Amino acid sequence: MEEKVCECSSNENSDYDDDEFYLQNASDEEDFQFSPGSLPKLQFRNTKSKGRWNEEMGMAELLEKNGKMWVTTGIVRKGKIYTSVEETLYLMELEAFDLLDNDDISISLSKMYEKVAGGKFGCCWELFEAYRHLKSLGYIIARHDVAWSLKSVRSSIKSSDLEGTEENKQLVDMVSKVEVSIDKLFGDLKINDLKPDFDVYLPNNRFRKSSPGDPNFLLYLSRGHPPSKAEIEVLERQCGGIPLKICLVTEGRVIFFSFDKVELPVLT
Amino acid sequence: MAPRWKGKDAKSKKDAEAEALKEPMSKIISQLQSSFVQSNTCGFLSDNCVHLAVQGEQLDLLDKACFGRPVRIVEKDMYWFQLTLEEAFYLCYFLKCLEINGRADDSPLSNEELWRYFKSKKEAFPCFYKVYSHLRIKNWVVRSGAQYGVDFIVYRHHPALVHSEYGVLVLSHDNDADLNGRLSVWSDVHCSTRLLGSVAKTLLVLYINKNGQNDESPLCLANYTIEERTISRWSPEQCRERSVLTFLDL
Repeated sequence: MEEKVCECSSNENSDYDDDEFYLQNASDEEDFQFSPGSLPKLQFRNTKSKGRWNEEMGMAELLEKNGKMWVTTGIVRKGKIYTSVEETLYLMELEAFDLLDNDDISISLSKMYEKVAGGKFGCCWELFEAYRHLKSLGYIIARHDVAWSLKSVRSSIKSSDLEGTEENKQLVDMVSKVEVSIDKLFGDLKINDLKPDFDVYLPNNRFRKSSPGDPNFLLYLSRGHPPSKAEIEVLERQCGGIPLKICLVTEGRVIFFSFDKVELPVLT
Repeated sequence: MAPRWKGKDAKSKKDAEAEALKEPMSKIISQLQSSFVQSNTCGFLSDNCVHLAVQGEQLDLLDKACFGRPVRIVEKDMYWFQLTLEEAFYLCYFLKCLEINGRADDSPLSNEELWRYFKSKKEAFPCFYKVYSHLRIKNWVVRSGAQYGVDFIVYRHHPALVHSEYGVLVLSHDNDADLNGRLSVWSDVHCSTRLLGSVAKTLLVLYINKNGQNDESPLCLANYTIEERTISRWSPEQCRERSVLTFLDL
């Protein structure tokens, strides 16, 4: 009995506990730097695409398409491809996109940075950094609730549920809903509307804009403080069962957290 | 997360698991409960904790069930033993196997009196106790998390047999009731996840909703609701590697 007590008192500080120390994710000690010099440049050679910036839309319209990245970049509307400010800037950073203004003059990279910094067009600097971090790792990213193409909207309506003119009406409603949301999203960024920022898909070379499927997770950029449980619930309600991740951008470092609901099992 | 049994090799880990399976925590606690009821054990209020004198079988059961810690041997075979407020209240209120004296005439205090006294010592006692009892009722072992900068550490069985998988923080369900001052800034989230990660534990947050109850009596506990969430760092680099590998398998 006495021996047992000695054991107890010597373990008092560790309380029987493990002193198992190991550094998880040691590799994340290294910053994933994105300074232009250190980023491996994709070999675009003569495959620079060309587009025109549309200030009212807050998007670039693709004029000359070059390269394979268009499978996973830009939304399709009436046969044309449009890129968001973050998609545009990302490609410009890689020197894969020549962006023109209404007078056919090339828009400089710094002008584009200014556009992002302004926070208009539905994107801000931190959102762009989050976008760039994931995109350069091969993830496929869309603005939340913006359809990749109208074909994907059409295909999500089961024809068996509809009849004749009903189908047309439904289609028009869905399309107009999508278009309205685009106007809102590519307009001034409203910080206080709590909704996911991006729909994210894992790297996938079979991705098709006409039927993208459900995103693997939705991403919300934290605007200052960790979300309370109530705020997480507001966000999750808009996720339709798809996992939510919260990201945080500080000084170029993009960090992701999951705040997953769990239930510890009842043990015997 | 799979349980991490303790042992220097695979065999001793299997032995630890077998030992835990042979004597489930629920059984140990049930034994403790009957032993204490039979012996009419009584404790004393001692500022921020509860003390009691125990010996023999009771001492053994307290150790096996992971309640409290022995302070010192006081007589032959008799130990002065210390319980936290939550542990003491669980034994009194839920298991109904301990009484606590605090009066001149040595009569035991009622649960209501204990509740008020513990609340006066620890403002967040109602929420902390709710979390403690929520996890104990599920037969998890709940201990102080102070050495890891969290509120509790939980184990699937006795800490001698298994490593703890979770560090627990008690939070309010909304930002208003700032119970604990924890995780209100990102630096604290970073700090807590890194520290716990370095000892192979996950941060588990238990959000309490008092549902408008005033906490004058322990009866309010029945209307508290709890939600469990883990907060963990996600690495897009590692995730992508796994998904690329899966693709290559096809």
